[in-house]
Amino acid sequence: MYGRKAYQLVKEFASGEKGQLAPFNSDLFEQVVAECSQHHKELQSLIRKIEEEGLDIQTARNADYYGALIHHLALVRNKRCLMAYMYNRAEIMPSLSWKIGHVLPKEIEEKLSHSEVEYFKKHSAALKSCMSKLMVDLTVDMVPPKDPYIQVRVLDDIGEGIVLSDDRTANFVRHSMHFLKRTDAEPFISQGLMEELTS
Amino acid sequence: MASSSGMEEERDSMEDYEALISTTDVELLKRAWRNEKAAPEILRFEFQLVSRLREQIELMEDTIHDKSTSSTDPLFLSLFQMDFDRTLFLLRSYLRIRIQKIEKYMFHIRKTDELWNRLSKEEKEFTEVCIEDLKQHLEESVLSKLPATYQSILRQSVTSEKDDMVPEPELDTFVLCRSKEYLTGIQLEDGPVDDRSKLFEMEPGVLHFICYKSIKALVESGKIDLL
Repeated sequence: MYGRKAYQLVKEFASGEKGQLAPFNSDLFEQVVAECSQHHKELQSLIRKIEEEGLDIQTARNADYYGALIHHLALVRNKRCLMAYMYNRAEIMPSLSWKIGHVLPKEIEEKLSHSEVEYFKKHSAALKSCMSKLMVDLTVDMVPPKDPYIQVRVLDDIGEGIVLSDDRTANFVRHSMHFLKRTDAEPFISQGLMEELTS
Repeated sequence: MASSSGMEEERDSMEDYEALISTTDVELLKRAWRNEKAAPEILRFEFQLVSRLREQIELMEDTIHDKSTSSTDPLFLSLFQMDFDRTLFLLRSYLRIRIQKIEKYMFHIRKTDELWNRLSKEEKEFTEVCIEDLKQHLEESVLSKLPATYQSILRQSVTSEKDDMVPEPELDTFVLCRSKEYLTGIQLEDGPVDDRSKLFEMEPGVLHFICYKSIKALVESGKIDLL
Protein backbone atom coordinates (compact mmCIF):
# COMPACT_ATOMS: atom_id res chain seq x y z
CA MET A 1 0.00 0.00 0.00
CA TYR A 2 1.26 3.47 -0.85
CA GLY A 3 2.60 5.50 2.03
CA ARG A 4 2.75 2.64 4.50
CA LYS A 5 6.52 2.64 4.81
CA ALA A 6 6.64 6.38 5.36
CA TYR A 7 3.97 5.98 8.00
CA GLN A 8 6.09 3.36 9.76
CA LEU A 9 9.02 5.72 9.71
CA VAL A 10 7.09 8.52 11.38
CA LYS A 11 5.48 6.13 13.80
CA GLU A 12 8.86 4.85 14.82
CA PHE A 13 9.88 8.37 15.73
CA ALA A 14 6.62 9.17 17.46
CA SER A 15 6.67 6.05 19.61
CA GLY A 16 10.21 6.75 20.77
CA GLU A 17 10.80 8.41 24.08
CA LYS A 18 10.36 12.16 23.95
CA GLY A 19 13.59 14.09 23.55
CA GLN A 20 15.55 10.88 22.96
CA LEU A 21 17.05 9.88 19.67
CA ALA A 22 16.62 6.41 18.25
CA PRO A 23 19.22 5.13 15.76
CA PHE A 24 18.72 6.62 12.32
CA ASN A 25 16.71 4.12 10.30
CA SER A 26 18.55 4.50 7.02
CA ASP A 27 17.15 1.25 5.65
CA LEU A 28 13.51 2.24 5.86
CA PHE A 29 14.40 5.80 4.94
CA GLU A 30 16.00 4.71 1.66
CA GLN A 31 13.03 2.50 0.90
CA VAL A 32 10.68 5.45 1.21
CA VAL A 33 12.95 7.55 -1.01
CA ALA A 34 12.90 4.74 -3.59
CA GLU A 35 9.11 4.65 -3.37
CA CYS A 36 9.08 8.36 -4.14
CA SER A 37 11.12 7.86 -7.30
CA GLN A 38 8.78 5.06 -8.33
CA HIS A 39 5.74 7.30 -7.84
CA HIS A 40 7.38 10.01 -9.86
CA LYS A 41 8.14 7.64 -12.71
CA GLU A 42 4.55 6.40 -12.84
CA LEU A 43 3.24 9.92 -12.50
CA GLN A 44 5.26 11.06 -15.48
CA SER A 45 4.33 8.12 -17.64
CA LEU A 46 0.65 8.78 -16.91
CA ILE A 47 1.04 12.45 -17.75
CA ARG A 48 2.79 11.50 -20.96
CA LYS A 49 -0.05 9.14 -21.78
CA ILE A 50 -2.63 11.89 -21.25
CA GLU A 51 -0.62 14.22 -23.45
CA GLU A 52 -0.23 11.62 -26.16
CA GLU A 53 -3.97 11.19 -26.22
CA GLY A 54 -4.14 14.89 -27.00
CA LEU A 55 -5.91 15.83 -23.78
CA ASP A 56 -5.18 18.89 -21.67
CA ILE A 57 -3.94 17.95 -18.21
CA GLN A 58 -5.75 20.89 -16.66
CA THR A 59 -9.14 19.69 -17.85
CA ALA A 60 -8.75 15.95 -18.43
CA ARG A 61 -10.70 14.01 -15.81
CA ASN A 62 -10.22 10.44 -16.96
CA ALA A 63 -8.81 7.40 -15.15
CA ASP A 64 -5.25 8.36 -16.02
CA TYR A 65 -5.68 11.77 -14.49
CA TYR A 66 -6.87 10.36 -11.20
CA GLY A 67 -4.13 7.75 -11.30
CA ALA A 68 -1.59 10.51 -11.70
CA LEU A 69 -3.22 12.43 -8.88
CA ILE A 70 -2.92 9.44 -6.56
CA HIS A 71 0.77 9.16 -7.35
CA HIS A 72 1.25 12.87 -6.80
CA LEU A 73 -0.54 12.79 -3.46
CA ALA A 74 1.34 9.68 -2.35
CA LEU A 75 4.59 11.38 -3.25
CA VAL A 76 3.67 14.52 -1.33
CA ARG A 77 2.66 12.45 1.64
CA ASN A 78 5.92 10.54 1.55
CA LYS A 79 7.84 13.76 1.35
CA ARG A 80 5.98 15.10 4.35
CA CYS A 81 6.75 11.95 6.32
CA LEU A 82 10.43 12.00 5.36
CA MET A 83 10.69 15.64 6.26
CA ALA A 84 8.81 15.14 9.51
CA TYR A 85 11.16 12.34 10.43
CA MET A 86 14.27 14.34 9.63
CA TYR A 87 12.94 17.61 11.00
CA ASN A 88 11.82 16.19 14.30
CA ARG A 89 15.13 14.45 14.74
CA ALA A 90 16.91 17.66 13.84
CA GLU A 91 14.80 19.48 16.41
CA ILE A 92 16.16 17.32 19.20
CA MET A 93 19.71 18.33 18.38
CA PRO A 94 19.49 21.97 19.50
CA SER A 95 17.99 20.78 22.76
CA LEU A 96 20.94 18.40 23.08
CA SER A 97 23.41 21.22 22.60
CA TRP A 98 21.60 23.09 25.38
CA LYS A 99 21.72 20.15 27.72
CA ILE A 100 25.03 18.45 27.16
CA GLY A 101 27.15 21.15 25.62
CA HIS A 102 28.96 21.27 22.34
CA VAL A 103 30.57 17.85 22.33
CA LEU A 104 28.49 14.95 21.12
CA PRO A 105 28.90 11.82 23.27
CA LYS A 106 29.87 8.74 21.32
CA GLU A 107 26.74 6.77 22.11
CA ILE A 108 24.59 9.52 20.60
CA GLU A 109 26.82 10.10 17.61
CA GLU A 110 26.41 6.46 16.63
CA LYS A 111 22.67 6.94 16.30
CA LEU A 112 22.94 9.81 13.86
CA SER A 113 23.36 9.89 10.12
CA HIS A 114 26.41 11.62 8.68
CA SER A 115 24.43 14.70 7.74
CA GLU A 116 22.92 14.87 11.21
CA VAL A 117 26.32 14.87 12.87
CA GLU A 118 27.36 17.71 10.58
CA TYR A 119 24.19 19.59 11.43
CA PHE A 120 24.77 19.20 15.15
CA LYS A 121 28.29 20.55 14.84
CA LYS A 122 27.20 23.48 12.74
CA HIS A 123 24.29 24.30 14.94
CA SER A 124 26.24 24.29 18.15
CA ALA A 125 28.89 26.43 16.47
CA ALA A 126 26.15 28.88 15.48
CA LEU A 127 24.86 28.90 19.03
CA LYS A 128 28.34 29.47 20.38
CA SER A 129 29.06 32.36 18.07
CA CYS A 130 25.68 33.89 18.89
CA MET A 131 26.44 33.70 22.60
CA SER A 132 29.88 35.19 22.16
CA LYS A 133 28.30 38.07 20.25
CA LEU A 134 25.76 38.54 23.00
CA MET A 135 28.62 38.29 25.48
CA VAL A 136 26.51 36.10 27.74
CA ASP A 137 26.90 32.39 28.30
CA LEU A 138 23.36 31.10 28.03
CA THR A 139 24.09 27.49 28.82
CA VAL A 140 24.61 28.08 32.53
CA ASP A 141 21.94 29.12 35.00
CA MET A 142 19.28 26.82 33.60
CA VAL A 143 17.27 26.84 36.82
CA PRO A 144 16.48 29.93 38.86
CA PRO A 145 19.21 30.39 41.49
CA LYS A 146 18.10 29.89 45.06
CA ASP A 147 21.49 30.37 46.57
CA PRO A 148 24.57 31.64 44.79
CA TYR A 149 26.58 28.79 46.25
CA ILE A 150 25.90 25.08 46.16
CA GLN A 151 27.42 22.00 47.68
CA VAL A 152 28.71 19.51 45.13
CA ARG A 153 30.42 16.16 45.10
CA VAL A 154 32.93 15.37 42.37
CA LEU A 155 32.04 12.10 40.64
CA ASP A 156 35.07 11.73 38.44
CA ASP A 157 38.59 13.11 38.46
CA ILE A 158 38.37 16.46 36.75
CA GLY A 159 41.84 17.71 37.40
CA GLU A 160 43.84 20.06 39.52
CA GLY A 161 44.24 23.76 39.41
CA ILE A 162 40.97 24.54 37.65
CA VAL A 163 40.49 28.29 37.76
CA LEU A 164 37.10 29.43 38.97
CA SER A 165 35.38 32.67 38.15
CA ASP A 166 36.61 34.38 41.31
CA ASP A 167 40.25 33.66 40.40
CA ARG A 168 40.63 30.90 42.93
CA THR A 169 41.86 27.52 41.85
CA ALA A 170 40.36 24.25 42.96
CA ASN A 171 41.40 20.62 42.91
CA PHE A 172 38.51 18.50 41.82
CA VAL A 173 39.60 15.08 42.97
CA ARG A 174 37.12 12.25 42.75
CA HIS A 175 34.65 12.05 45.66
CA SER A 176 35.81 15.33 47.10
CA MET A 177 33.16 17.80 48.16
CA HIS A 178 33.18 21.49 47.38
CA PHE A 179 31.19 24.57 48.06
CA LEU A 180 31.11 26.38 44.73
CA LYS A 181 29.40 29.14 42.91
CA ARG A 182 26.44 27.70 41.05
CA THR A 183 27.62 29.14 37.74
CA ASP A 184 31.01 27.48 38.19
CA ALA A 185 29.55 24.11 39.02
CA GLU A 186 26.77 23.93 36.41
CA PRO A 187 28.90 23.00 33.39
CA PHE A 188 30.41 20.10 35.36
CA ILE A 189 27.02 18.97 36.59
CA SER A 190 25.56 18.92 33.08
CA GLN A 191 28.52 16.84 31.89
CA GLY A 192 27.84 14.38 34.68
CA LEU A 193 31.16 15.04 36.42
CA MET A 194 29.63 16.46 39.58
CA GLU A 195 26.43 16.11 41.47
CA GLU A 196 24.64 18.64 43.57
CA LEU A 197 24.15 17.68 47.18
CA THR A 198 20.80 18.76 48.47
CA SER A 199 20.19 18.75 52.13
CA MET B 1 -6.82 59.74 65.15
CA ALA B 2 -3.16 60.46 64.88
CA SER B 3 -2.34 56.78 64.76
CA SER B 4 -4.79 56.02 61.94
CA SER B 5 -3.46 58.83 59.75
CA GLY B 6 0.00 57.59 60.52
CA MET B 7 -0.97 54.16 59.24
CA GLU B 8 -2.50 55.66 56.17
CA GLU B 9 0.64 57.56 55.51
CA GLU B 10 2.59 54.40 55.90
CA ARG B 11 0.34 52.61 53.47
CA ASP B 12 0.66 55.46 51.01
CA SER B 13 4.39 55.34 51.22
CA MET B 14 4.21 51.55 50.83
CA GLU B 15 2.18 51.99 47.65
CA ASP B 16 4.60 54.61 46.41
CA TYR B 17 7.42 52.26 47.12
CA GLU B 18 5.74 49.44 45.23
CA ALA B 19 5.00 51.69 42.29
CA LEU B 20 8.61 52.77 42.27
CA ILE B 21 9.88 49.20 42.47
CA SER B 22 7.63 48.07 39.64
CA THR B 23 9.33 50.47 37.26
CA THR B 24 12.90 49.42 37.92
CA ASP B 25 14.65 47.77 35.04
CA VAL B 26 14.83 44.42 36.79
CA GLU B 27 11.07 44.46 37.31
CA LEU B 28 10.55 45.47 33.69
CA LEU B 29 12.76 42.63 32.56
CA LYS B 30 10.85 40.26 34.79
CA ARG B 31 7.69 41.32 33.01
CA ALA B 32 9.23 40.98 29.57
CA TRP B 33 10.60 37.59 30.56
CA ARG B 34 7.23 36.35 31.81
CA ASN B 35 5.49 37.55 28.67
CA GLU B 36 8.09 35.97 26.44
CA LYS B 37 7.88 32.74 28.37
CA ALA B 38 4.12 32.47 28.10
CA ALA B 39 3.56 33.77 24.58
CA PRO B 40 3.53 31.13 21.86
CA GLU B 41 5.15 33.46 19.32
CA ILE B 42 8.24 35.61 19.60
CA LEU B 43 7.65 39.10 20.98
CA ARG B 44 9.49 42.34 20.32
CA PHE B 45 13.03 42.33 21.61
CA GLU B 46 13.42 44.81 24.47
CA PHE B 47 16.37 46.61 22.91
CA GLN B 48 16.74 49.50 25.34
CA LEU B 49 15.87 47.55 28.43
CA VAL B 50 18.44 44.86 27.69
CA SER B 51 21.21 47.33 26.92
CA ARG B 52 20.43 49.28 30.12
CA LEU B 53 20.49 46.08 32.12
CA ARG B 54 23.78 45.02 30.65
CA GLU B 55 25.33 48.22 31.93
CA GLN B 56 23.78 47.71 35.33
CA ILE B 57 25.02 44.15 35.50
CA GLU B 58 28.53 45.28 34.69
CA LEU B 59 28.28 47.91 37.39
CA MET B 60 27.04 45.34 39.90
CA GLU B 61 29.87 43.02 38.98
CA ASP B 62 32.42 45.77 39.57
CA THR B 63 30.84 46.67 42.88
CA ILE B 64 30.92 43.07 44.05
CA HIS B 65 34.51 42.77 42.98
CA ASP B 66 35.51 45.96 44.80
CA LYS B 67 33.64 44.95 47.91
CA SER B 68 35.10 41.46 47.97
CA THR B 69 38.63 42.85 48.08
CA SER B 70 37.82 45.41 50.74
CA SER B 71 36.74 44.20 54.15
CA THR B 72 32.99 44.25 53.71
CA ASP B 73 30.67 42.12 55.81
CA PRO B 74 30.43 38.73 54.05
CA LEU B 75 26.69 38.59 54.67
CA PHE B 76 26.20 41.88 52.88
CA LEU B 77 28.35 40.63 50.04
CA SER B 78 26.42 37.40 49.74
CA LEU B 79 23.13 39.30 49.56
CA PHE B 80 24.54 41.49 46.88
CA GLN B 81 25.79 38.45 45.01
CA MET B 82 22.39 36.82 45.23
CA ASP B 83 20.69 39.88 43.78
CA PHE B 84 23.27 39.93 41.01
CA ASP B 85 22.79 36.23 40.24
CA ARG B 86 19.05 36.65 40.00
CA THR B 87 19.30 39.55 37.61
CA LEU B 88 21.77 37.66 35.49
CA PHE B 89 19.51 34.63 35.51
CA LEU B 90 16.59 36.72 34.27
CA LEU B 91 18.64 38.14 31.43
CA ARG B 92 20.05 34.78 30.44
CA SER B 93 16.70 33.08 30.60
CA TYR B 94 15.08 35.85 28.59
CA LEU B 95 17.66 35.58 25.81
CA ARG B 96 17.54 31.80 25.99
CA ILE B 97 13.78 31.57 25.55
CA ARG B 98 14.01 33.78 22.49
CA ILE B 99 16.82 31.74 20.95
CA GLN B 100 14.82 28.58 21.53
CA LYS B 101 11.78 30.08 19.85
CA ILE B 102 13.95 31.03 16.90
CA GLU B 103 15.30 27.49 16.70
CA LYS B 104 11.76 26.22 16.53
CA TYR B 105 10.15 28.63 14.09
CA MET B 106 13.08 29.98 12.09
CA PHE B 107 11.51 29.65 8.66
CA HIS B 108 8.27 31.22 9.78
CA ILE B 109 10.04 34.12 11.49
CA ARG B 110 12.30 34.73 8.51
CA LYS B 111 9.51 35.03 6.00
CA THR B 112 7.15 37.07 8.20
CA ASP B 113 8.39 40.65 8.22
CA GLU B 114 6.46 41.56 11.33
CA LEU B 115 8.21 38.87 13.35
CA TRP B 116 11.57 39.38 11.67
CA ASN B 117 11.66 43.01 12.76
CA ARG B 118 11.16 41.99 16.36
CA LEU B 119 14.56 40.34 16.55
CA SER B 120 17.81 41.90 17.67
CA LYS B 121 20.79 42.08 15.35
CA GLU B 122 22.44 39.06 16.96
CA GLU B 123 19.23 37.08 16.80
CA LYS B 124 18.83 37.90 13.12
CA GLU B 125 22.32 36.68 12.38
CA PHE B 126 21.68 33.55 14.37
CA THR B 127 18.45 32.90 12.47
CA GLU B 128 20.19 33.24 9.12
CA VAL B 129 22.91 30.81 10.10
CA CYS B 130 20.39 28.35 11.54
CA ILE B 131 18.27 28.41 8.42
CA GLU B 132 21.31 27.87 6.25
CA ASP B 133 22.46 24.91 8.36
CA LEU B 134 19.07 23.23 8.64
CA LYS B 135 18.38 23.77 4.97
CA GLN B 136 21.65 22.19 4.00
CA HIS B 137 21.01 19.27 6.32
CA LEU B 138 17.50 18.63 5.02
CA GLU B 139 18.52 19.12 1.42
CA GLU B 140 21.37 16.70 1.75
CA SER B 141 19.40 14.02 3.55
CA VAL B 142 15.91 14.28 2.03
CA LEU B 143 15.20 16.87 -0.63
CA SER B 144 18.04 16.11 -3.03
CA LYS B 145 16.80 12.52 -3.23
CA LEU B 146 13.31 13.53 -4.32
CA PRO B 147 12.14 14.37 -7.86
CA ALA B 148 13.01 17.93 -8.92
CA THR B 149 9.51 19.32 -8.62
CA TYR B 150 9.27 18.21 -5.00
CA GLN B 151 12.53 19.66 -3.72
CA SER B 152 11.32 22.87 -2.12
CA ILE B 153 11.85 23.14 1.61
CA LEU B 154 8.91 25.50 2.07
CA ARG B 155 6.36 23.88 -0.22
CA GLN B 156 5.18 20.33 -0.63
CA SER B 157 5.51 20.48 -4.40
CA VAL B 158 5.62 23.06 -7.19
CA THR B 159 1.85 22.88 -7.44
CA SER B 160 1.34 24.22 -3.90
CA GLU B 161 0.09 27.77 -4.06
CA LYS B 162 1.65 28.96 -0.83
CA ASP B 163 4.29 27.83 1.63
CA ASP B 164 2.64 24.86 3.27
CA MET B 165 5.56 23.15 4.94
CA VAL B 166 6.59 25.82 7.43
CA PRO B 167 6.11 25.10 11.12
CA GLU B 168 4.24 27.96 12.75
CA PRO B 169 3.56 28.73 16.38
CA GLU B 170 0.14 27.73 17.64
CA LEU B 171 -1.63 31.02 18.32
CA ASP B 172 -4.81 29.27 19.41
CA THR B 173 -3.32 28.11 22.68
CA PHE B 174 -4.67 29.41 25.95
CA VAL B 175 -2.68 31.67 28.20
CA LEU B 176 -3.09 33.04 31.69
CA CYS B 177 -3.12 36.79 31.73
CA ARG B 178 -3.90 39.83 33.81
CA SER B 179 -4.78 43.31 32.69
CA LYS B 180 -3.34 46.44 34.22
CA GLU B 181 -6.26 48.65 33.34
CA TYR B 182 -9.93 48.32 32.53
CA LEU B 183 -10.19 46.99 29.00
CA THR B 184 -13.27 46.57 26.94
CA GLY B 185 -14.21 45.46 23.47
CA ILE B 186 -12.03 42.39 23.29
CA GLN B 187 -13.17 40.18 20.46
CA LEU B 188 -13.02 36.51 21.32
CA GLU B 189 -11.71 34.36 18.51
CA ASP B 190 -12.72 30.98 19.81
CA GLY B 191 -15.79 29.26 21.13
CA PRO B 192 -19.17 28.91 19.40
CA VAL B 193 -19.76 31.28 16.49
CA ASP B 194 -22.76 33.00 18.14
CA ASP B 195 -20.63 33.99 21.13
CA ARG B 196 -17.91 35.57 19.08
CA SER B 197 -19.83 38.74 18.37
CA LYS B 198 -20.08 39.43 22.10
CA LEU B 199 -17.35 41.71 23.30
CA PHE B 200 -15.36 40.75 26.32
CA GLU B 201 -14.16 43.06 29.06
CA MET B 202 -11.38 42.80 31.58
CA GLU B 203 -11.12 44.29 35.04
CA PRO B 204 -7.66 45.32 36.18
CA GLY B 205 -5.86 42.70 38.21
CA VAL B 206 -8.29 39.87 37.50
CA LEU B 207 -6.82 36.66 36.16
CA HIS B 208 -8.15 35.34 32.88
CA PHE B 209 -7.53 32.15 30.98
CA ILE B 210 -7.98 33.15 27.40
CA CYS B 211 -7.09 32.28 23.82
CA TYR B 212 -3.82 34.02 22.93
CA LYS B 213 -5.11 35.13 19.54
CA SER B 214 -7.82 37.27 21.11
CA ILE B 215 -5.42 39.31 23.22
CA LYS B 216 -2.37 39.19 20.93
CA ALA B 217 -2.52 42.90 20.09
CA LEU B 218 -3.00 43.88 23.73
CA VAL B 219 0.02 41.86 24.82
CA GLU B 220 2.08 43.49 22.11
CA SER B 221 1.04 46.97 23.19
CA GLY B 222 1.86 46.12 26.80
CA LYS B 223 -1.68 46.51 28.18
CA ILE B 224 -1.94 42.91 29.27
CA ASP B 225 0.67 40.86 31.07
CA LEU B 226 0.97 37.14 30.55
CA LEU B 227 1.67 34.89 33.49
